[in-house]
Amino acid sequence: MRALTIAAGLLLGLAASSASAETKNPGTFVFLWTDDVQSFDPAYIANTPSSYGVLNVYSRLLNYKGSEISEFVPAISTEVPSLENGLIKQGPDGSVTYTFPIRKGVRTHKVGVKGADGKVTWEYLDTLTDAQKSSVEPGYGEITAEDVRYSFLRAILMGQSWMSNAITEVITAGKYPDIAKWVEAEGGGAKIKEASPDVLRKVYDQLASQITVEADKVTMKLPKSFPATLGVVALPFGASIVDKEWVASVGGWDGSGDTWIKYYRPELSADPLFAQENGSGPFMLEDWNRTERRITLKRFNNYFLEPASLERVVMRTVPEWTTRRLQLLSGDADFVTTPVEFLDELSKTDGIKVVDGLPKVFGRGLFFAWPVDDADNPAIGSGKLDGAGIPPDFFADIDVRKGFNYAQNYDALLKQVLLGKTVQSRGPSVRGIMGYRPDSPVYSYNPAKAAEHFKKAYGGKLWETGFTLTAYVQEGTPQGTAALSALQQGLQRINPKFKLKIQSLPWASISDKLNNRAKPASPLTYMGWGPDYSDPGGPLGAASYYLSPTGLVGGMVGQGYRDLMAEKFKPLLDEAWASNDPAVREPIYAKLQEMSYEYATTQFLWEEFGYIVTRSNIDGFVNNMILYGAWDFSTIKKAN
Amino acid sequence: MLPVVMFALSLMIFALQMSLTPTQRLAAYAPSPDFLKGGQESIRALIEQYGLNDPFYIQYGRWIGNILTGNLGWSETARQPVGVALASLLPATIELVFLAFFPGLFLAIYLGSRAGIHLNRWPDHLIRVFTILGWSFPVYVFGLLMLLIFYSALDWFPPGRLSQWAQAVVSSPDFVRYTGANTVDALLNGNFSVFLDALRHLVAPVVTLIYVNLANMTRVMRTSMLETLRQDYVRTARAKGMPRRVVELHHARRNALLPVATIAGMELAYMMGGVVITETIFDYSGLGQFAAKSAANLDFPAILGFGLYFAVVLVVLNLLVDLIYPLLDPRVKTK
Repeated sequence: MRALTIAAGLLLGLAASSASAETKNPGTFVFLWTDDVQSFDPAYIANTPSSYGVLNVYSRLLNYKGSEISEFVPAISTEVPSLENGLIKQGPDGSVTYTFPIRKGVRTHKVGVKGADGKVTWEYLDTLTDAQKSSVEPGYGEITAEDVRYSFLRAILMGQSWMSNAITEVITAGKYPDIAKWVEAEGGGAKIKEASPDVLRKVYDQLASQITVEADKVTMKLPKSFPATLGVVALPFGASIVDKEWVASVGGWDGSGDTWIKYYRPELSADPLFAQENGSGPFMLEDWNRTERRITLKRFNNYFLEPASLERVVMRTVPEWTTRRLQLLSGDADFVTTPVEFLDELSKTDGIKVVDGLPKVFGRGLFFAWPVDDADNPAIGSGKLDGAGIPPDFFADIDVRKGFNYAQNYDALLKQVLLGKTVQSRGPSVRGIMGYRPDSPVYSYNPAKAAEHFKKAYGGKLWETGFTLTAYVQEGTPQGTAALSALQQGLQRINPKFKLKIQSLPWASISDKLNNRAKPASPLTYMGWGPDYSDPGGPLGAASYYLSPTGLVGGMVGQGYRDLMAEKFKPLLDEAWASNDPAVREPIYAKLQEMSYEYATTQFLWEEFGYIVTRSNIDGFVNNMILYGAWDFSTIKKAN
Repeated sequence: MLPVVMFALSLMIFALQMSLTPTQRLAAYAPSPDFLKGGQESIRALIEQYGLNDPFYIQYGRWIGNILTGNLGWSETARQPVGVALASLLPATIELVFLAFFPGLFLAIYLGSRAGIHLNRWPDHLIRVFTILGWSFPVYVFGLLMLLIFYSALDWFPPGRLSQWAQAVVSSPDFVRYTGANTVDALLNGNFSVFLDALRHLVAPVVTLIYVNLANMTRVMRTSMLETLRQDYVRTARAKGMPRRVVELHHARRNALLPVATIAGMELAYMMGGVVITETIFDYSGLGQFAAKSAANLDFPAILGFGLYFAVVLVVLNLLVDLIYPLLDPRVKTK
């Protein structure tokens, strides 16, 4: 009994010590999510969650201008290159140069201090006395033009992440997708691991000659136009600037053209920049406890732009929603990743702020494919236009595609399924991407027009016989299933002989139907795509994704689609890509957007949307769509 | 026995992973799905690089060779060597488990003895209802109730291992990490505030673990006590005029502890393997969460490493239970 009394007393004592203040952890932003950071090496990371770390600890030549995805502001570069300011120049041979004047006095978190013995040690700049600052070795912890050059070379030569490889595409103007292909081309087909030192050196020399330093300027020379360049340079992946001297001092590449292959695609554990950093961004990595999945960032007071308002950011991975939710409600967390079904409830909760309907550069659609695989393919039933199936090239008929597009009830989907939080997708380019115009034509639910097109399709035979086909949607995507159900009902109302079956499958099975065969096996698929940079052109741009015969969509939806793209769309895509002048390019991409309507290439449904849930004393979140909502903590403010 | 168990276990887990295709196993080495975006050619090169097409015995031999040199491999889940991950999480699990297990064990012995002594009287009924209730509660329900009442409503016992301010103290260079267990380290550093904070975070998961695990040991103790109380030597002792309390607590209870020791050993081994649900609900980073996430990620080096760790725990605890038997009942030693 005595023991129980002592235990109860201890419990009450502990409880009493937990008096909660109005604002918990002032100055510290506690961020609870379900993701994890892969690495702190900008040349290694390849996904959005990992960019949260690099985005905040490193700086880039340019930053996106707030939430704008096609406008930039100076960062390490003192100016944004343009044709007008002469920092973008077109050569007589078709080459294009981008020049970046490098800002002076940009310091990294740690600087090299020379001791009495002449040895350089790396110390945190924020903790140095004035006397120690005078002993900082020049170039050791100061971002120079050479560091910028080195950072780009390193990202390209490491060849690790497909996002870093986007810089290879920039510098070769799309000729090579990564350094391995470049080496193969120069080495007569030999794989990169088997390439001779001479070939490796030759590739390095070619590359190095395209990124040059003159005084305080870095110039990138592209063999031809690559208008997405600035969009790639402003991304955290690969384009974040590291300090050459520091990287070499921790065992990384020293910048030599003879040794780079040793650092090509390193194991994560062998990458010295994996768990340590020396960036020049607004925050420093104070602690990364990988087993407890907790990252602590500390404000860098010598940040060259305006220092952050927050003193610390603590990012923790908390997989259990109830735990995250209770911590948000109690004020122990300032942001939590929230399942969408709890948004309404939380928006009515005191002390909680829900910012909803944030736009994303991610479109959803129903993708028509033709011709599809006719061998043992249940999706096309009989494989004939006899009412029990569809012919393999069913969607080759433009009237079928238009009929399907008029049979969809977009308004009902937007209002009832998406609760009015987003807008109808107008084509490949979503809001913010060049070529998007809010008044471009879109399909709307129109049974009469749908019937008109269906009656014309297949010389009128389709209307007589009807059809049966199966559409696929990924398991666990209720909005996709709703879109197909709305289409199913629309078709049935137009003609009861039009039968659309809906099947949910794991993504791996859908991917297998689209990618792993000579012809796709799914005639109609619910999917979504987002571009990797803000420019609509280039290998990873929105317009190319959908409308290029070599784009990702083209690769999945059949030769018929690719032929249509090659014939009607590619000439315009090439024309737009050949120019660096937005005034020339914008009308072309707008035209392409309209053509995607005219040819009913895809059933464009809606633009994806995002949301954030924070304590109500949190402000300053900037939703940049091309960063896929990644948090730049330097703008966040936490009121006490 | 330990080497045999470990060998058999490692062989079984390794055989299981070999039933997957090299491409599926390659996913275990991929830092993200994008790693596999390079297409079939790139995947083939990576399979070659990691030797995933080599015969079973070569791959197994390579792995065992690494183990013998102290290298359990690299865990993509923890993004560090498996050995380092296990070593850094073990103190947290030990801290939680020991604080829950030993008080739980003593409470079970006490309650089981009381119930046995007061058979079919109100203490017995009360204890049985109390323990059966604990048994009936799924751990996630009880854990969430604890959180809702003692954290959400009262703000007494928060989840996690430490508050932000205490975490900052513990992460500072001035705070020496002797053991990795927050309570112990706080005391060794002479920081009583951090000690109290760590304890405050442990209360809810510890109480949850004690309550949901109490029923089993209490019931075994009660049954064993009932059986012992019917023994001739107990009756003889009472007939000799020894006080009831002395007979019950010193003569009968000690002999009744043997089955409890067996159950307790198993219980402790199970808890040392990680209490996944409790750790997840209370946001407590321990071995259980790590093992579950590794399994979900098909992180084979981590799964294999964890399997080996668990085999060691199991064998060592069995050995300990065997050593405790003679202390409880000297006849075991004689036999």
